[in-house]
Amino acid sequence: MVVPSKMLGMPLVARISERSPGLFNISLSVFLFLFATVAFAQPDGEKLFKGNCASCHKPDKDMTGPALKGAKARWEGKGDIHAWVKNSSAYLKTGNPYATELFAKWNKSVMTAQTLTDEEIDAVLAYADAYVPPVPKGPDPTTVTPGGETSNWPWLVVIALLLLVVGLSLSGVKRSLNNAVREAEGKEPEPDMSFGQRLRNWAWHNKAAASILGLFIVVFLILKLWDAAFVIGVYGGDEVPHYKPEQPILFNHTLHAGKADKGNLAINCQYCHSSAEKSKHAGIPSTNVCMNCHSAVNEGRTPEGTKEIAKIYAAVGWDGKAYTGKPEPVKWVKVHNLPDHAYFNHQQHVSVGKLECQECHGPIDEKMDVAEQWAPLTMGWCIDCHNTKDVKMAGNGYYDEIMARLEDTDMGHEELKKYLEDEKISVKELGGWECAKCHY
Amino acid sequence: MSSTKRYWKDLGELHQQPEAIKGRENEFPQDLAIDQVLGNSSLTGASTGRRDFLKFLGFGIGAATLAACETPVIKSIPYVTKPEDITPGVANWYASTFYDGEDFASILVKTREGRPIHIKGNPRFGINRNPALAKGSINARMNSSVLSLYDGARLTGPVAKGSETATTWADADKSIAAGIAAAAGKRMVILSNTVISPSTQAAIAAFKAKNPTAEHVQYDVISYSGVTNANLKSFGKRVFPSYDFTKADVVVSVDADFLSNWGSTSENTWQYASRRNPDLAMNRHFQFEARMSMTGANADVRVPLKISELPKAVVALHAHVSGNSAGADAAMMKATEGAAKALMASKGRSVVVSGSNNEGVQVLVNSINSILGNYGSTIDLDTHTHFKQGDDAAVAQLVKDMNAGSVGALFIAGVNPAYSLPNAAAFKSGLAKVGLSVSFSGYADETASLCSWICPDNHYLESWNDFHPKVGQYALAQPAIRPLFNTRQWQESLLVWSGSTSNYYEHIRSVWQANMANRGPEMGLFEDNWNTAVHNGVLTAPVTPAALPAVFAGDVAAASVAAAKASSGAGEFELALYTTEAIGSGQHANNPWLQEMPDPLTKITWDNYVCMAPADVEKLGLNMYLGEQAPASLVTVKAGNNEITLPVVPTPGQRAGTIAIALGYGRGENGEKVGKAACVTDHNGDFKPVGKNAYPFTTSADGGVNYDVLNVTVTSAGGTYPVAITQTHLTAMDRHSVVKETSVATYKAGDKAAYNHPHTLGVHEDVNGDGVINTQDRKPVAEFDLWQEHPVEGVGHRWGLSIDLNGCIGCGACITACNSENNIAVVGKDEVRRSREMHWLRIDRYYSSATTKESAKKDGLGKIDMYLKMEVPEESPTVMFMPVMCQHCNHAPCETVCPVAATTHSNEGLNQMAYNRCIGTRYCANNCPYKVRRFNWFNYVSEKFGEVNPAWDDLGRMVLNPDVVVRGRGVIEKCSMCVQSIQAGKLAAKKAGTPVKDGSIETACSAACGTGAIVFGDLNDKKSKVRGLADSDRSYHMLEEIGVKPNVNYLVKVRNTEEAAAHHA
Repeated sequence: MVVPSKMLGMPLVARISERSPGLFNISLSVFLFLFATVAFAQPDGEKLFKGNCASCHKPDKDMTGPALKGAKARWEGKGDIHAWVKNSSAYLKTGNPYATELFAKWNKSVMTAQTLTDEEIDAVLAYADAYVPPVPKGPDPTTVTPGGETSNWPWLVVIALLLLVVGLSLSGVKRSLNNAVREAEGKEPEPDMSFGQRLRNWAWHNKAAASILGLFIVVFLILKLWDAAFVIGVYGGDEVPHYKPEQPILFNHTLHAGKADKGNLAINCQYCHSSAEKSKHAGIPSTNVCMNCHSAVNEGRTPEGTKEIAKIYAAVGWDGKAYTGKPEPVKWVKVHNLPDHAYFNHQQHVSVGKLECQECHGPIDEKMDVAEQWAPLTMGWCIDCHNTKDVKMAGNGYYDEIMARLEDTDMGHEELKKYLEDEKISVKELGGWECAKCHY
Repeated sequence: MSSTKRYWKDLGELHQQPEAIKGRENEFPQDLAIDQVLGNSSLTGASTGRRDFLKFLGFGIGAATLAACETPVIKSIPYVTKPEDITPGVANWYASTFYDGEDFASILVKTREGRPIHIKGNPRFGINRNPALAKGSINARMNSSVLSLYDGARLTGPVAKGSETATTWADADKSIAAGIAAAAGKRMVILSNTVISPSTQAAIAAFKAKNPTAEHVQYDVISYSGVTNANLKSFGKRVFPSYDFTKADVVVSVDADFLSNWGSTSENTWQYASRRNPDLAMNRHFQFEARMSMTGANADVRVPLKISELPKAVVALHAHVSGNSAGADAAMMKATEGAAKALMASKGRSVVVSGSNNEGVQVLVNSINSILGNYGSTIDLDTHTHFKQGDDAAVAQLVKDMNAGSVGALFIAGVNPAYSLPNAAAFKSGLAKVGLSVSFSGYADETASLCSWICPDNHYLESWNDFHPKVGQYALAQPAIRPLFNTRQWQESLLVWSGSTSNYYEHIRSVWQANMANRGPEMGLFEDNWNTAVHNGVLTAPVTPAALPAVFAGDVAAASVAAAKASSGAGEFELALYTTEAIGSGQHANNPWLQEMPDPLTKITWDNYVCMAPADVEKLGLNMYLGEQAPASLVTVKAGNNEITLPVVPTPGQRAGTIAIALGYGRGENGEKVGKAACVTDHNGDFKPVGKNAYPFTTSADGGVNYDVLNVTVTSAGGTYPVAITQTHLTAMDRHSVVKETSVATYKAGDKAAYNHPHTLGVHEDVNGDGVINTQDRKPVAEFDLWQEHPVEGVGHRWGLSIDLNGCIGCGACITACNSENNIAVVGKDEVRRSREMHWLRIDRYYSSATTKESAKKDGLGKIDMYLKMEVPEESPTVMFMPVMCQHCNHAPCETVCPVAATTHSNEGLNQMAYNRCIGTRYCANNCPYKVRRFNWFNYVSEKFGEVNPAWDDLGRMVLNPDVVVRGRGVIEKCSMCVQSIQAGKLAAKKAGTPVKDGSIETACSAACGTGAIVFGDLNDKKSKVRGLADSDRSYHMLEEIGVKPNVNYLVKVRNTEEAAAHHA
């Protein structure tokens, strides 16, 4: 798999999980299998099934309506399945006993009349009969768990310790040899000093070197502390491990929002986070939004996925057929936490600034099975962007007015000249660095 | 013209008392709060040594560091099924209606994530809407009412007498049904405030139908029986009329505080203010009164009279107007001459109102208005209001019957008679004899705690309700939140006890449906009307106008006798009982925002007191100059068996020989839990009610309640009492060009320099070109710059406020609106006393002497008389109100002194404050010429201030605006010009792709200002209203000569007085 160049700056963990081929393999094998079985059927039963039937029927399981597998056989000799599918309520009026029985069994819910030809209906039923569920795969053994990233430094420590032991032994050997030489030369052997004593002894005799070395160490430590202080409370960015709390439902952003050509569902971010364009909050989707799809999609691509989907049902109070009225709201763990004194508005950035979600949230659609804080969300990070990004003024009457005012007065004209030194008007130049734009 | 008029903030300043001078020179008169910390005796006895201390320190730092390293885990719980109309982070506004028996207004309720957090007037519909400004007028009590929703003392369910805990409604209903059955055959009374709701009336009718002995008695806490009974006698209609001040060229008020607390104030205020624009036809306002009321403070001509003289003044006015001066007092004839003349010149375009509750006086007032032809023009009896239907005589009879044991059941809704009746003691003893007494109060208040059941009503923001405020006007109140507690609307309780199974919402709909069916097809489809009413909060029905105005048929002679009776029996001191702008009749006394709102005139918070003329204070040898270290003297006021001991506040404008005490204080005297701020811990550490209850001084007379006591004794009680007064705090007195005032004649003459002269500085160059350099060579202040120009003019936006001193009536609705919008801490009396109030917006009140050199000359006074008169000017001062918030100077002195750049300037002209940057040096506050910066001396969101600060408990915290942070200890804060609203407004414009429309962004204060005195907008928008005002001739900057170039401008006050006078302080 090709690693996009954009990813090179990614932390190691992200790069490794990107290489995980599991999901891709699964979808690929399903696809190949299906292709092999139904490709020659005329017309395309699978396509018809997915387009017309899948919201209520499954090939192999009961859903809102019965499983379609074997339906043709079940109807054999009992009635006209074609007429039933085309218009079930009309067919019911014929008094067919099997149709009546089916109608009663399925809560007397009328199936939507279908405008399909007999051949098409046959194709769908043939597809259902031939359907074999994809073999679920366990987790791919090649997947490296996120914890794997930390596996480097213990080795380094071990190597360092080994080197230290070797070094100490060598110095002991050197001293013995030295003493041996001195003995041979008839001198007194060097007094047996501890390491500390020798260090002090050396420092006493090399004051300049010791002072400089000491200074370096102190400066080094202070710098390290200084750096460390800068990332206190920072949970994203390049310098620290990203904040990636465990969530009550292992919602997979990549699967839902990832690109379709990689076997993902490519759902627009704002389908779920719909308030991003109209509110300060992007919003965590309410559970009923999940149910827009998951009332039909009740199985995951893996058994684990199915378990997670079951959690949605528990949360929304869905027993598979109806709402029980006993919801249990999901307690998500908030990933992106801004301090109270900072005001951030999604609407401004999404609707007016026209930023892509990924510019702040990172490759959430490419390699975040579980959401994590990607950007550091520090003030420096915010105003950096305000300094470099130009304002999308074109075609916006609000900015037309601002420009007109700038061109209208002397003071405005001076300002405009300053703004345009770099040939663009940045957010900063229109006040994006001012305190009360974000703090009030 | 040079200045001869003096303005002062308080008497101390007028007489140059050392305290006042000291206070003026110190921005923060308090030393650091160190003494409070070190005064803690437990600290001095500590045995921790230095080494231990260092160990603790080390451990503390280590532990804190470790704790800080932990990742915060914050849970976010989305909706399971998101309501369609709620988007987290986006406010929803619902049209609703405020009605509490006293005030009525159509309002908009702002909710965030389902929580009501702010209230403003409905800008599109309702009788309180100012159509010219498209603004709804409301007062401080209305916009503060959102806070009372979150009062922790509210009852959480029905409570039986003697029980501490709430029970279920099923239990309560069962027990009450039994009680009702037992009371059958006896009088059964529903005692409520004035019910203007058709559906409530229907619910009461349903209850009456089930229980034939049931009846409805209405009781107005502040009685208007005098007015309504007089209208019955004069016109055969027992109603409170509609007034239209927009049509009145002359307004004469005899003791009616119609801008603050008389009649339908939410209408009066905007109507009155709409006629105070000097560029249009300005009205002329005469006020006769004993105490300095807010309305009197706005008058063009104010005549202080004794309370006993006020009825005589009405008689004299009648004599002038009718031309029959028999029996009129000569002195009063002279006092009312000017007013009468103006009235006669404006027949049919004038209005006379009286605050008296004496029927005779009101009949005379009706007669005057009738002679002047004001009925059908400024006074409307046909489309009259339904307010103030209370019947004092029926209430008095009820108390008698209760004591006689003939009342079997009593249901009390919306009133608190055990607190507010003149004969509260008789009511209480009678209540004990009533078999079943049910209160619908939301709190276990004075009355409810004595009742056998309390069936708590919802808060009005949790309720459906309908109103019929006037003929042809209907209004709806809709819930903005589900009931927080297990409460039930009292109307629904009545329905349940009447055997109905429909809830009150369905009941309202069915009542409306039936009423509309009765009106016939003219109303159109019911569902359309209903949806319109829910959306707008208001529904207007066509009214057939009356063919002829009502004809006066009152008995003037009898009325004059009654009026004379009201004047007799005056003693050494006369007492007026009044209601304040903030607290009203006392039902909102538990609201911390209102308690901390300074009184418009005295600027005192958290207390009621005796208002006394300064001359009388001096005569009695009481403390004249009040301040932080100068407490007020205590006096005992006695009338008959009643006595009350309160601090004395010298009040300029109070007529000598009269005193005034505010009603509505002293709630929860017997330990009743009446709400958060009604009782607080005082300076002695006692948990006591705020202020004292003065209702016992009211008397029942001639079928009405009398609020004047003509013979009281005032004696020094010895001792002093600290009052929290903001009057002398943080003000900018003794400098020129703070307030400017002129007369309409001077203004109309058109010479700007005469009333709004420019400020210039002398320069050392020959400016005027006369060949010599002398003091005549001056340049405008604007040409001097100490700093580099901020690039704001013409660059992007430049936000500004324009404040019309003519439009400001001093009501303070802007202060509470600002509290609500900006999460401003309530700090309590003790902190306010130490000048630590946190209000971002204050209203400065300036008194000035009416006597000037010019007026003395005109009156023909000799030099000695003139100076004598000028020395005691406070007898009849004129008053100015001036709202002051951060002026957002383009050359802000605060910005240059901040050592950490926590306060900076934005290119939109805002002076910004970054709280997290502030280290609390307070240099900025010291350098602010307007004294508008506030320092958080303590963490006001802490247990120490939990008694008063709503943000302390979880329930009260729900009122906070989530778009504005709550400031912590040690930082400065100040008016941000509602930058959150500016940002939101800009964002809306950017999204729509249009320029920001003028008027689309409002600050909390400008939105709350129903009189239109505060206008917000973009000064860089050449077409904006605020730009036009800023460029107008009346516009000036406060302290213009210091050259700080504020973005807030003021408009010179123009008084409609006859003399051509030019004043500036």
